[in-house]
Amino acid sequence: MSWHSGHIHTALVTIRANRGRSLITMFGIIVGVAGLIVVVGISQGVKNEITNQVNAYSNNVISVTSKAATLNSFGVSSVPAVSTLTNQDVRAISKIKGIVVVPLSIMSGVATGEQSDSNGIVIATSGQLLKVLNQTLVYGSFFSGSDTNPFTAVLGSTAAHNLYKKNIPLGFGLNWRGQQFIVDGVMNSFQVTPFSSNSIYNNAIFINQNAIKQMNLGGSSIYKILVRVNKGSQLTKVDREINTILLKTHDGDNNFSVLMPSQEAQSNTSVFNLLTELTISIAVIALFVGGVGIMNVMLVSVAERMHEIGIRKAIGASNRQIMSQFMIEATTVSVVGGLIGIIIALIIELGLRLTTNLVPTISWEIIVLSAVISSLIGIIFGSIPALRAASKQPIDALRND
Amino acid sequence: MALIRLEDVSKLYGFGDATTLALDEVNLIIEKGEFVAVMGPSGSGKSTLLNIMGLLDKPTHGSYKLSNRHVDRLSISQAARLRRDTIGFIFQSYNLLPRLTVLENVALPLTYKGVSQTKRLKQASAMLERVGMQNREYFYPYQLSGGQIQCAAIARALVNDPSIIIADEPTGNLDSVGSRLVMELLTEIHKSGNTIIFVTHNPELTRYATRVVYMYDGTIIQDEKTNIGEVAKTAKERHYKIAKKTVDDDLAGVTLLMKALPDKDVRTANRISRSKEKKKVKTNRRKS
Repeated sequence: MSWHSGHIHTALVTIRANRGRSLITMFGIIVGVAGLIVVVGISQGVKNEITNQVNAYSNNVISVTSKAATLNSFGVSSVPAVSTLTNQDVRAISKIKGIVVVPLSIMSGVATGEQSDSNGIVIATSGQLLKVLNQTLVYGSFFSGSDTNPFTAVLGSTAAHNLYKKNIPLGFGLNWRGQQFIVDGVMNSFQVTPFSSNSIYNNAIFINQNAIKQMNLGGSSIYKILVRVNKGSQLTKVDREINTILLKTHDGDNNFSVLMPSQEAQSNTSVFNLLTELTISIAVIALFVGGVGIMNVMLVSVAERMHEIGIRKAIGASNRQIMSQFMIEATTVSVVGGLIGIIIALIIELGLRLTTNLVPTISWEIIVLSAVISSLIGIIFGSIPALRAASKQPIDALRND
Repeated sequence: MALIRLEDVSKLYGFGDATTLALDEVNLIIEKGEFVAVMGPSGSGKSTLLNIMGLLDKPTHGSYKLSNRHVDRLSISQAARLRRDTIGFIFQSYNLLPRLTVLENVALPLTYKGVSQTKRLKQASAMLERVGMQNREYFYPYQLSGGQIQCAAIARALVNDPSIIIADEPTGNLDSVGSRLVMELLTEIHKSGNTIIFVTHNPELTRYATRVVYMYDGTIIQDEKTNIGEVAKTAKERHYKIAKKTVDDDLAGVTLLMKALPDKDVRTANRISRSKEKKKVKTNRRKS
């Protein structure tokens, strides 16, 4: 209706006339909406990253971990003190057809390069790791001559940099537990996101598991067994078989976890879900506080403009029209606040994309949702002052100067 | 058929010991096309009477018929609609919205009628032209003189084409030039068939009226038909002749206001005191 357009105009005039006050009123909404969009954008972006990684590295890879290693109380995968997985498990699983099995054992002890010590972990594994992780090398090969000399090491990209600085480290020596290893290759860097299982690989030194055997360090616990299934359609079947085999080898004790690729991603994103929920609830509280702020300012505005309400009523405004006017004003304040919030959120997300590794997702759904939420806040919190304005008798309002 | 018919209308404010009787069983019939001036001292109930006639307030007792329709018990929205369509208000303090331009102020009643923006601005512009304010359309009220603001307020009152114009001391804040401008505008509106009811303290302005109603303590004490161009007889008597003060009055603490009352006893007392007091005191004329 045309008087609505008149009210929107009046609302804009009022907001313009009280710029400072309007901005303070909008502040809660701006913070709430911007917070909501940025937080959801970041968490969605990180989730997408993790999912992409899992798809890239381990699309057909089932990972078996010790139960204690799978989830801690926050749902974060962590390295266990004692793993329940053994070489016997690896051998048993290897009997399944159409799969490649790679055990990962985290070894204690510091590896020393020619110039410095490594602060990364030492992982004993087999030559198939590269294939399973779908990863490539920058230099050298991955345990290619292990038949003749098992004492070769492959470095993660960060570990290579830390140990040998600018040199290409191929053929350099590496000392671990008194044994000399020859650097055989350097891995391409893994795309890293916080909390993802790949994050440890860049700073890791991979040594051949046969070397462990020759060094008589048997009994090392296996942190993770990666099982690559050659045919994607057999994932579920293999998953079932592994479960059956491990139950047998563990004497019926269900102290291990077999995670499908999708579950792996899930366990990695769970901490983000938790953080996202927390921050969204803070954003919602900010929105609520913003709404209360709008209500307060509108109540003051109603009191200040009582005489104006009287004039408007005297010249023919009905209660409904006065109420609409104040509702439209409150809604305009919150919608404008919401729009500013959206713009600020987009700027923040752009800044994050340009300056950090994070790639926040700009989702239209969340932008529309924020716009709807901010309008609703205007309507809900604007209704009380609007009702108060409308309920005034014209003559009482007119007398109020 | 009477346009406005008030029967035994009373209005009480407050309650308990603080009750004030603003109108005391007022009976008044106003015909279509009348130009009525309401006079009386402050607190005599003039504004209350106007507010009730303008549907801004409801009578506590009595009946009010507007165009033969009972309007004393209308709902707030019904009253708002009727007010919007049939009554135009002019206030002493102009009451234009300071944040809107003159044009937007004049167009405001049409906004509540649901007229489209282009149409309402066009109508408002035409109305401003009628009151001689066409070159001030985009001014804000604070940029205009009192007389100009009141002209804009008159344009706002007229824009809905109401049959009744109610003006509560329209010249109260204006100088003589502004007052004449406003009153001549009202006369012109009256000539086009509108009924005008206005409150004034200035007896000179009764020259424009066809009828003068005098109020005192919530009642109508006199109702007088007058000719346009002449000051009403009662107004003339009261404001030009009676308002004299003697030394005795000063000693007795009688105020000028008390002496201005159109009460016979007071007038008689005045005459006696005047005959006793040979020395004349200065005549006090109220100027607008």
